Amino acid sequence: MFFDVVKRELRRITSRPIYLVGILLVPAFMSLLFVSLLGEGLPEKVPAAIVDLDHTPLSRQTTRSLNAMELVDIVDREESYNQAIRSVQEGKIMGFFVIPEDFEKEAIGGKAPTITFYCNLTYYVPGSLVFKGFKTMAVTTSGRIVANSLVEKGISQGVAGAIIQPMNIAFHPLRNPWTNYSYYLSSSFLPGLLELMIFLMTAYSITMEIKRDTAPEWIRAARGRISTAILGKLFPQTLLFLLVGVGMMSLMYGWHHFPMNGTMGGMLLAMLLFVIACQSFAVGLCALLPNPRYALSLCSLTGILAFSLAAFSYPVESMYGAVGIFSYILPVRYYFLIYLSVALDGVPVYFVRLYYVALLGFPIVAMLLSPLYKRAMLKPVYVQ
Amino acid sequence: MKKWIYATAIAFRREFRMVIRDVGVMLFFFVLPLGYPLVYSLIYNPEVTEDLPVAVVDECRSAHSREFVRHADATQAIKICGYASSLSEAKRWWEEKKCFAVIYIPADYSQKVGRGEQGLIQFYSDMGLLLRYRTMLSAMTELQMATDTDLRTEAMNMAGIPSSATASVQTQAFFLGDPQQGFASFILPGILVLILQQSIMLGVLMLRGSSKDRRRLHGGIDPLDTEGPASAKVVGRTLCYTVFYLPTALYVLHFVPEFFAFPHIGHIADYFLFILPLLIASALLGQAVQFLASERESAFIVVVFTSVAFLFLSGLTWPRYAMNQLWLWLGNLVPATWGVNGFVAINNNGSTLALQQTNYLALWVLVAVYFVCAVLAESHAERTPVKPLYA
Repeated sequence: MFFDVVKRELRRITSRPIYLVGILLVPAFMSLLFVSLLGEGLPEKVPAAIVDLDHTPLSRQTTRSLNAMELVDIVDREESYNQAIRSVQEGKIMGFFVIPEDFEKEAIGGKAPTITFYCNLTYYVPGSLVFKGFKTMAVTTSGRIVANSLVEKGISQGVAGAIIQPMNIAFHPLRNPWTNYSYYLSSSFLPGLLELMIFLMTAYSITMEIKRDTAPEWIRAARGRISTAILGKLFPQTLLFLLVGVGMMSLMYGWHHFPMNGTMGGMLLAMLLFVIACQSFAVGLCALLPNPRYALSLCSLTGILAFSLAAFSYPVESMYGAVGIFSYILPVRYYFLIYLSVALDGVPVYFVRLYYVALLGFPIVAMLLSPLYKRAMLKPVYVQ
Repeated sequence: MKKWIYATAIAFRREFRMVIRDVGVMLFFFVLPLGYPLVYSLIYNPEVTEDLPVAVVDECRSAHSREFVRHADATQAIKICGYASSLSEAKRWWEEKKCFAVIYIPADYSQKVGRGEQGLIQFYSDMGLLLRYRTMLSAMTELQMATDTDLRTEAMNMAGIPSSATASVQTQAFFLGDPQQGFASFILPGILVLILQQSIMLGVLMLRGSSKDRRRLHGGIDPLDTEGPASAKVVGRTLCYTVFYLPTALYVLHFVPEFFAFPHIGHIADYFLFILPLLIASALLGQAVQFLASERESAFIVVVFTSVAFLFLSGLTWPRYAMNQLWLWLGNLVPATWGVNGFVAINNNGSTLALQQTNYLALWVLVAVYFVCAVLAESHAERTPVKPLYA
């Protein structure tokens, strides 16, 4: 009888394109979008401008050095601050660097003129990169001027260097020394997207039994056993989604050599539990709201909010407590935490064992809620 | 012509009734654009992340090293969570996620600083979240520069050079559009525009899908459909959605940034005029792709995931200058791409409508293109019989 339901479901999902679109094509398209769009890892050569009001050899040298940087690309030389701001507003540049009038004269005279730079942070990533490039340039420029003036006073080059920068900090970004953005975005947003599609397709295929009035026949195929009905219906989808999930992983870790510092087995197990947890989440929602409109609306809501709530970019501990707590009702949160520790950091699975257990909690809750199906499925009511 | 206007008016009136009688569509047209911005704002409203736990391995144990750690603890970004006895103990803390970074001060740090050599401190940072790394990195860079200034003055005084006699330069950074470098102020304005487009698309596709459901029930005819040419229906419906969305757009683009005190320096006339073609283009785009909705509930499956794709194609998170031609052009076809960039420039950077002519014109071009597509799609849909659905 389990296989009767499985066979019935296979017939259903091949009877029209939308099931295969939702299960296979959408995740495949989005995987290609992410991996290809973010392929470079770091959007270098940020368009920027320089406003040189000094027009001296020193300011020209600074301009040349800025142009030689990997991070920024000086596309414009503006004559005034106003013009530069206009270019920012028009979206042509992400920031500009201002060398004030009489800069060289005042610098050598010890009057401490100010180099200012402006970064458009409405675009966070390029804005931050421009900031990094400009800051480095401002510091080196000021260092060079100070060093020259010290050497003129008779201090040796080496000592002058130490006087300018008596201490330094060496930064070691662990496991992602290239600060590759694709590692962040692809490896969190793709599981998030998989979760969204699993929520939607699970809720869709269950509630369509109500809309088309086929639910009694479904339950009959399972000889009246709700658990057999649900397991048999979702089993083919579990396999398909697992295939998609493993495909995503091989695209990232195999094809594109994303960092995989831990055990692949740990990640594969996490993917399996994650797919089942997402299906269980949707099963639970459909048990509470057995009609297509509310079940699908709520699945869309949680699936989309998960991209923010699961804290892929903005950490949970910085959210308000009453908001951040919702992070932990989402399967993708646990998968993400496992990914961070096992795949990125290469920490033994032992440290994240509780997250695996948490993923196992979802099917248990769904099982407890499944008796609610009996009434909804034997007397289906379609609410438009 | 008179007939055409009459048919348009009838289509407008019919669509208006359909929208207010359909709870599902009302969810998309009202609850979603009213609720989502609030939820998103609540998630991101704390804006910055602070007091990140950082461990210290201090093998120097000198006045210099202790002072450095004290200053690190005093920054907004960092909170020293404890002294580890060795790097391997600190590593264990990191594996347990008790700390997100380790400051390692070598035994010879103080000696080197005193001798006039360069003292080097190591900073190991977790890379799980970019925001944490960036916050700690900029705090540590600031701290390094401040420490250098202190030590430099000390060294120059000892060498007998008055610090005022040497050349010096100051630097100052300004952040445009998001002066506090907050996360909500950066992401929200763009999301607001995306919410407008996506909720229109969802509602429109649900209405079109419902019409097919009705035709399926009534032998191929939708009893609630109106008479008239396809162009009249498209114009009537589009006007109806636009009228619904004008107050919503005012709420989403004006009041939401006001409620949460997000950057909001544009002029209301500028962004309101700017957003009008976005609303029209989104409504037309929804009708142009109506063949994707074979029934009411299809809207969820074909539209919801595109929010994520459109967010990335808009260039808000990944800049458009770094995209290849394929994705650039796909982005060009999405109204929200132009809408996000233009609205952000007006709202965050204080641009005027005149400076947004590229984005504004592109939106009107999309209106024209999608109008033609919508009329074609509508007449095609009228001609093709609906297929029965079994699953």
